[in-house]
Amino acid sequence: MRRGLEHARQDEEGPIVTGWGEESAVAARELTKWYGRDEGLVRAIDGVDLEVAVGETVAVMGPSGCGKSTLLHVLGGLDRPSGGEVWLAGRRIDGMSERELARMRRSKVGFVFQAFHLMDELTAVENVELPALLGGLSPRVARRRAGELLERVGLADRAGHLPSALSGGQRQRVAIARALVNQPLVVLADEPTGNLDSASTLDVLRLFKQLRAGGQTFVVVTHDERVAATADRLISMRDGSFVDQTRLAGGTTGRLGDLAGLEGWRDG
Amino acid sequence: MLLALLAKEPSLGYQLRARLNDALGSLGEEMNDGQIYVTLGRLERAGLVAVALAGSRQRPERKVYSLTSAGQARVGDWLGEVSWPKPDVAEFHLKLIAASTAGLADPVGIIDAQRRALLRRLRDAQEAAMAEPEGSRAALLLEGIVLRLQADLRWLEACDAAWSTPARTRKGRS
Amino acid sequence: MGRAALFARLAAKDLRRHLSEGLLLFLVIAAAATTLTLGLVLHGETNNPYNTTRTTTAGPDAVANLAPSISTTGTITANADPAHLAALQRAPGVVATSGPYPVTFALLKTHGLTTSTMIEGRDPTPASLDQPLLTAGDWIRPDGMVVERSFADALGVGVGDLVTLNGRHFQVAGIAVDAAIPPYPHVCGIGCDVLYRNAISNEQISFYQPGLIWLSRPDALSVATPDVGVSYMLNLKLSDPAQAPAFAASNTHTTGSGTDLVVSSWQHISAQAAKLVRGPRTVLLAGSGLLVVLALASVAVLVGGRLSEQTRRVGLLKAVGATPATVAAVLLAEHLAVTILAAATGVLTGWALAPLLTGPGAGLLGTAGSPPLTVATVATVIAAALAIAILATLVPAVQAARTSTIAALNDAARPPRRHKLLIAASSRLPVPLLLGVRLAARRPRRAALGTLSVAVSVAGVVAVLIERSRLGGTSGLANPQHQRITQVLWVITIMLIVLAAINAILITWATVIDGRHASALARVLGATPQQVSEAMTASQFLSVLPGSLLGVPLGIALVQTVGKSSDAYKHASIPMVILVIVGTWLIMSLLTAIPARIGTRRSTAQILQAESN
Repeated sequence: MRRGLEHARQDEEGPIVTGWGEESAVAARELTKWYGRDEGLVRAIDGVDLEVAVGETVAVMGPSGCGKSTLLHVLGGLDRPSGGEVWLAGRRIDGMSERELARMRRSKVGFVFQAFHLMDELTAVENVELPALLGGLSPRVARRRAGELLERVGLADRAGHLPSALSGGQRQRVAIARALVNQPLVVLADEPTGNLDSASTLDVLRLFKQLRAGGQTFVVVTHDERVAATADRLISMRDGSFVDQTRLAGGTTGRLGDLAGLEGWRDG
Repeated sequence: MLLALLAKEPSLGYQLRARLNDALGSLGEEMNDGQIYVTLGRLERAGLVAVALAGSRQRPERKVYSLTSAGQARVGDWLGEVSWPKPDVAEFHLKLIAASTAGLADPVGIIDAQRRALLRRLRDAQEAAMAEPEGSRAALLLEGIVLRLQADLRWLEACDAAWSTPARTRKGRS
Repeated sequence: MGRAALFARLAAKDLRRHLSEGLLLFLVIAAAATTLTLGLVLHGETNNPYNTTRTTTAGPDAVANLAPSISTTGTITANADPAHLAALQRAPGVVATSGPYPVTFALLKTHGLTTSTMIEGRDPTPASLDQPLLTAGDWIRPDGMVVERSFADALGVGVGDLVTLNGRHFQVAGIAVDAAIPPYPHVCGIGCDVLYRNAISNEQISFYQPGLIWLSRPDALSVATPDVGVSYMLNLKLSDPAQAPAFAASNTHTTGSGTDLVVSSWQHISAQAAKLVRGPRTVLLAGSGLLVVLALASVAVLVGGRLSEQTRRVGLLKAVGATPATVAAVLLAEHLAVTILAAATGVLTGWALAPLLTGPGAGLLGTAGSPPLTVATVATVIAAALAIAILATLVPAVQAARTSTIAALNDAARPPRRHKLLIAASSRLPVPLLLGVRLAARRPRRAALGTLSVAVSVAGVVAVLIERSRLGGTSGLANPQHQRITQVLWVITIMLIVLAAINAILITWATVIDGRHASALARVLGATPQQVSEAMTASQFLSVLPGSLLGVPLGIALVQTVGKSSDAYKHASIPMVILVIVGTWLIMSLLTAIPARIGTRRSTAQILQAESN
């Protein structure tokens, strides 16, 4: 059984997604990641089970230091687990060599980081086309795809700008375009709105919504409730393990007007 | 909410007051002592509270108050409510304390239920905000709702963390 | 004063943390300082042991050499007639003479070696002017020869050994030094024209640099062959030795009977003797010039590599109120301590090593001793070392002082450069080259430094190889001057290689650290670790390639200008050039692969976390 959720409160609207390993976009079983030894032992991930179906958006929330970023790195093959299995796009990746992991990352995963991590000396379009070039596409095809993606994120007019000439929200959108250039199966986002203000956050969430409508799978790590609220499923993490799971997709309860204090007006 | 404080056992007036002060901490000092007894009187007239006299005196603090069965039912309803008409931090706070001391429900469960509800509302509010055309005034109103929900959710997470730790004993300000 | 103490403490703490870099800086400057000291000390060599020899052998102020009569076809018509020197003996300014002595050349064979030799016929009784001083054995006797000391060293003969001259056997009776004729291998400084005529029948004789031996007059005359003939040498003492060059010039002419009379002054002979030291000195100075350039590049990379750290510290200092001047002072402070220490070490090492090279050689009496270390020399070396350090820290110091405090604290001061063309061009290349070109293009200054140091190193190696091939003796005889120069060349080569290797590792290390974020990002985006480390090597190669190609003509030019030989390029054979270039590529790849490998060890996740904080 899924040990990680033993202590979790079951959500009242039915069981979580089933279908394991080969069918899900990303999956982990009894995943652990430790650092250090003896007294210095840090259990960054302490027995986590997870499945993310294709097209689903899962948000992982938790206080800082709870291991959610580490989880994302391990899921994306950037870091190796100490124990357990990790499945990505139907293949088991926890035993793969660095070379194979790099290949997986090229075609199956797109990363979005809190700090954007764009190359300062490349323009927006050059940043976006980079993974395509690394993946072996011809420069022309890569450039074309990059242009299309920039248009999709609404930055076609900024294609030739350097990151230093872009706002935070624009930079993150460039990063998102870059994550999509190789048509990945899943996008892993680590605090994508962490460095953004309220308006830019909305822009990014709008973009995510469009992409989700197109069937893109997302795993988002965040401590921003606004981002978490957009997910299909919200997982709470603390001290390296999952403590709660909530399915958010579903009907609304109550009227929004009540939230603003309008109930007095409603009935005349 | 006073009802809930009685759920554990019948209490004397001043005991109720003490318990209220305990739970509210410094905010409790703002409450009018007389307010408690007025409310208790109302509850009695509504049939939710039964009064017995401890001694021969007629003084309110000396009266013993206990829940009627109707009162008990009311408490149960109240605990199960997840509507959120307006932010009422104190009420929720007391809800948790009452639930915990009377053993009526797991406070963490209450918190989670409320969180889920708020998250769904946040989602709705955000969808509505995104659906608005750029720069519309309504978007601003929705932004207000979203941000307050966000703030409330943050507090709920803190509650979750605090109430989840088993070793903690309930003190006035937890 | 309190502030200075504070800065000194800051500098000391920082130095302790970066011990390895301090050590490298020390090594680099010490190496450059040592060579520079050696060069300067030899340059200032005033103590010419020739003077001692002149005194003890009662050396002449001028030497006259009368050649035999030579026909237009080059054959010898008659031996020189000593009577023709009579006029010279009575010339104004001449106080005393000795000789004339017969002089001829012969082919010498001993110990399996063949060479040519100049023979002076002398009397058993000591002369009052120019009597060679015996350092071993006895003076000439029938069938007994005395060999000039540096010649004897080169031949490897001692007293009692057998030697053949033009087929006749002689025994070495003694070994001596002399001031009238320059020691081996500069004997021909006073004229060996007779040896290099076209019509000489025993051609072998002119292949070699002759040495000097003394025989008895009858033996000398009997050894002489008709086609070499007999010259006569006259030693002269002048009333005014300082006027010897003028005397020599005015008395050098063709006599009435058609023979050449060449008069050499003692100053000229002294200069010939000093060649033993001058040659190596020139090479040393050139070599130390190269090393100074290399050291400059190394220090620049060392200092520039820690630039972002420096920039942040500068920001901190400025935020607490330090003026730009103080900031620059703090930056220099830690380097200054190491630099001065290294310079001092270099000076002492150079001074200690100098006698090895200034030892006058076997041919002259008296050792030069430890040449005096003048204040000027010490000051020059220390100033040069300081200049290196200051120059290399100047650029980052100025940059750092100019950036605004906030920018410095946020370390926005040195964004990587953008080269639109290179970026566009690189997208067509395979992944390792794509990443490598872009990596190199980020820091054009460092790439230029890399090219410079490779060019200088290759130039040095090429120059050394050319020199060695030029000096390549064919006689198997140990030529002392060549030996000296070879020793110096070895010293310079080793130092060059060491410095060049340090430089290569430094530059690679700086590139690895600087490119860490870009490399981690490339790996996140799908590049394999192998591709990334190949990219690192490729980016270094972009400096190495032009550097190695530049270095070859540079080295040839160096030899031609410094060595004053216009045909040096002929010694740069194609195979040698190819060997040097390919060798450089291989060595550089190896040197850069190691730091590159080490640099990619950290996990990408860690690097990204670190870089975003």
